[in-house]
Amino acid sequence: MTNGSAVRNAWAPAVATGWAVTVVRPSEPAAASPIDFTGMDDAALVAASVDGQREAFDVIVERHRRTVYQVCYRFVSNHEDASDLSQESFVRAWRGLENFRGQAALSTWLYRIAVNVCLNRVSAKAPATDPIESTDHFEDTRIEGAQALLLRQERAATVRKAIASLPKKQRATLILRTYHDMSHQQIADILGSSVGATKANFFHALANLKKLLGNQP
Amino acid sequence: MTHLTPDDLVDALDGALAQSRQTHLDACQPCRQQLAELRAVLGETASVVVPEPSPMFWEHLSVRVRAAIDAEPAVASGWTSWFRWPVLAPIAGLALVVMALMVAVPRQGAVVPDVEVNEQDTADISFAIVADLVGDIDWDTAMSAGLMVGPGAADQAMLELTAAEQQELTRLLTAELTRAKS
Repeated sequence: MTNGSAVRNAWAPAVATGWAVTVVRPSEPAAASPIDFTGMDDAALVAASVDGQREAFDVIVERHRRTVYQVCYRFVSNHEDASDLSQESFVRAWRGLENFRGQAALSTWLYRIAVNVCLNRVSAKAPATDPIESTDHFEDTRIEGAQALLLRQERAATVRKAIASLPKKQRATLILRTYHDMSHQQIADILGSSVGATKANFFHALANLKKLLGNQP
Repeated sequence: MTHLTPDDLVDALDGALAQSRQTHLDACQPCRQQLAELRAVLGETASVVVPEPSPMFWEHLSVRVRAAIDAEPAVASGWTSWFRWPVLAPIAGLALVVMALMVAVPRQGAVVPDVEVNEQDTADISFAIVADLVGDIDWDTAMSAGLMVGPGAADQAMLELTAAEQQELTRLLTAELTRAKS
């Protein structure tokens, strides 16, 4: 920053004799006090996000990205598509944040968005699944024999493929019930159906899986 | 007694089977077999985990979401938010109705002369009077006196009406149209 005396000397020839040059240094702008969004609950984060505070939505993403990704992965069984669907789910959540009334938990609302994104995007045919080599990267082979591990991975891939081949509503119901421990009522709310229809979808999903897996080793 | 329905079997998997149906299940080997098979499939399905992605993936996902949201078109705010078809279309329609009424409906209280007059002469006289009155008024004076109507002023006036006022205006216009037709 320019020295005050240097400024005074520079101005001296320009002013009449006897005048004093006073250098007034503009005060430094007050540093914006950072808000700690990480300690806020979901409702406060939603309110702050709607208020235009993007950092608040970043915390929402950070808090729920794992569950949203897992829902998406269960639908498509491959990492790339699950990443894309997760991103799209959060972008849709951002767009619709003003409409979130808080009747349900934010996590349930995000589940609903993710499931709808997946149902809209996933085609009826089975999507490409990750190759067995790329799954379960962090298994400890010292505990389990390599051959047993390979068999388990193959079986897991078979189950994922069978799930991916289920009709969409059955797949959604099975995923939310089995992996996210949702009640039939919650699933019905998310899918916009009745509890009876949800139970029927769950039953048929299991029955179809039994057929699909029963024919394979 | 009938065998377990799909609904009953799901309740049984959840441990919420009604007592009467539980009694049947205890005594029915085919139903127990079916339930055991469903339970086995459910167990195997539940044991399949989602592969854990790279630890760096999560932050990468956050960055991607942030970038995608930044790329979203900004939400129009303030007066610019009025420039949307769902807002403009009804206002434009209402403005057309108002203009049509102004042209078609005779002013209330206007006296229709019983005698024939020379319209050309009347127009000339009226124009002469108006010209005489406003001839010396410049543009700025007229503006400051509120005699000028700016572009979009009628639309703006419509926007400032409350819902009740808009409803009342609609009622008045409808009544005026009915009166004009009769």
